[in-house]
Amino acid sequence: MIETGYVQVLTAFFLVVIAFVLSRIKSIPVEKEIAYGSIRTFIQLIAVGYALEFIFKSESLYLVLLSVFIMLLVAAYTAGQRARHFKGGFAISFISLSIGSLITLGLMLVLKIISPEARYIIPLTGMIISNSMNAISITFDRIGSDLKNNRLEVETALSLGKSWREASQRFYRDAVRAGMISILNFMKTAGIVALPGAMTGMILAGVSPLKAVLIQVIVAYMLLSSLTISSIVAGEIVIRKFFNDAEQFTG
Amino acid sequence: MSSCQDSVILEARNVSRQIVANGNSKKTVDSFSYTFHKGDVYNIIGPSGAGKTSFLRLLNRLDDPSEGELLYQNKPLVSYQPTEIRKNLSLIFQEPYLFPGTVGSNMEYCKSDCTEDEIEFHLEQVGLNSQFAGKDVSELSVGEKQRVAIARSLLLKPEILLLDEPTAALDPTSSQTIELLILSLMKEFCLTAIMVTHNPEQAKRMGGKTLLMVSGRLIENGDTSELLTNPKTEQGQKYIRRELK
Repeated sequence: MIETGYVQVLTAFFLVVIAFVLSRIKSIPVEKEIAYGSIRTFIQLIAVGYALEFIFKSESLYLVLLSVFIMLLVAAYTAGQRARHFKGGFAISFISLSIGSLITLGLMLVLKIISPEARYIIPLTGMIISNSMNAISITFDRIGSDLKNNRLEVETALSLGKSWREASQRFYRDAVRAGMISILNFMKTAGIVALPGAMTGMILAGVSPLKAVLIQVIVAYMLLSSLTISSIVAGEIVIRKFFNDAEQFTG
Repeated sequence: MSSCQDSVILEARNVSRQIVANGNSKKTVDSFSYTFHKGDVYNIIGPSGAGKTSFLRLLNRLDDPSEGELLYQNKPLVSYQPTEIRKNLSLIFQEPYLFPGTVGSNMEYCKSDCTEDEIEFHLEQVGLNSQFAGKDVSELSVGEKQRVAIARSLLLKPEILLLDEPTAALDPTSSQTIELLILSLMKEFCLTAIMVTHNPEQAKRMGGKTLLMVSGRLIENGDTSELLTNPKTEQGQKYIRRELK
């Protein structure tokens, strides 16, 4: 087992130097980003490490809930930035991420898949929210661009007496599917193309591979559930924003 | 076939449509008033940007007026369910959009319970034989697509056909075939046709009444032959002279 400490981290910084030097030689304009990014990663993760240590030791439910709320806020803000084609991206992101993650997490607690401890809830919620955030960002982008680029198709359907839901059904389905594609691809190739991050982390931390695999399977199912719920909720809310009560396309 | 009476079917009362584009407010349709009668053909002519298509979109309720009122069979257009009224006032777009699949599946999309006989009947009405039902829409010419779009609309049993430059992408021969088709369908099904065209020659061939729009306003209307030969307004005279040259 690797003994990980600050010495190992500093040694690993050599890898950053390789990336920095290579990009400099090849005149790829990312030196600043590499420098800032690597330092920022270090500071952010160390800070998070101390925060988690504190929360885990305190065993305070309020601190756990606060952490989840902050994660939801930041993720909703980030996904909301992708809402180029409509207003209210932040609110829609917050609602869909909350519903997706809370239902999934709630079920995992109720079904006793995990125990209600900070050391389970916080990292798993982080995984759920970050993956769902990426999924709804894609759903947002896809719905907006597809509807706008296919105005004639949508309005033809409306002009033939179809409801807004019928006229936009194809775009809604495509957008939700696009949001889910990452988890669907992951499940197809898990363990074959790459070892998933959570599983790798556990193996590196000394957990037996068989146990790590079981946990990873739970993580995959958990992500599937939260991504599906979040993408569907986001798609449902967003698509309605492109139509008014008179079944007119306003996009 | 129902009897084709010369009753009022549609009325526009001081209708305007205001839009905001790039921060600027603009009236695409401005104080438009007119009464349409059942069974007649109406040509809406005028230069590009005159508001012809915008007006048709209001009739199909793809948009609503910002001011004024549209009445269909003496009732406000907005009092009808949009999904129902759009079947009565069927809009044929300039570039017909057919859904991926076969001609038959496009017809079924319009009316899920339509029978093969119904599909064949309506295809024949637009001059396409029954074998077209199985054809993939990607194999059709623009003219055939336009015919399928018309057949598809006929399935909905509309009272009014709203035609937005339906022959704009067609060669002169195909254009005249579509024009004759529209006129014969009007007689067959007792339809009212409101057709946007930028071509006064086409309006002349269609006959009926003609409405001239400029900058969103209806500046002149009357019998087509009378309006095209003897426009009353200076704007009308300039436009007709230029277009018929």
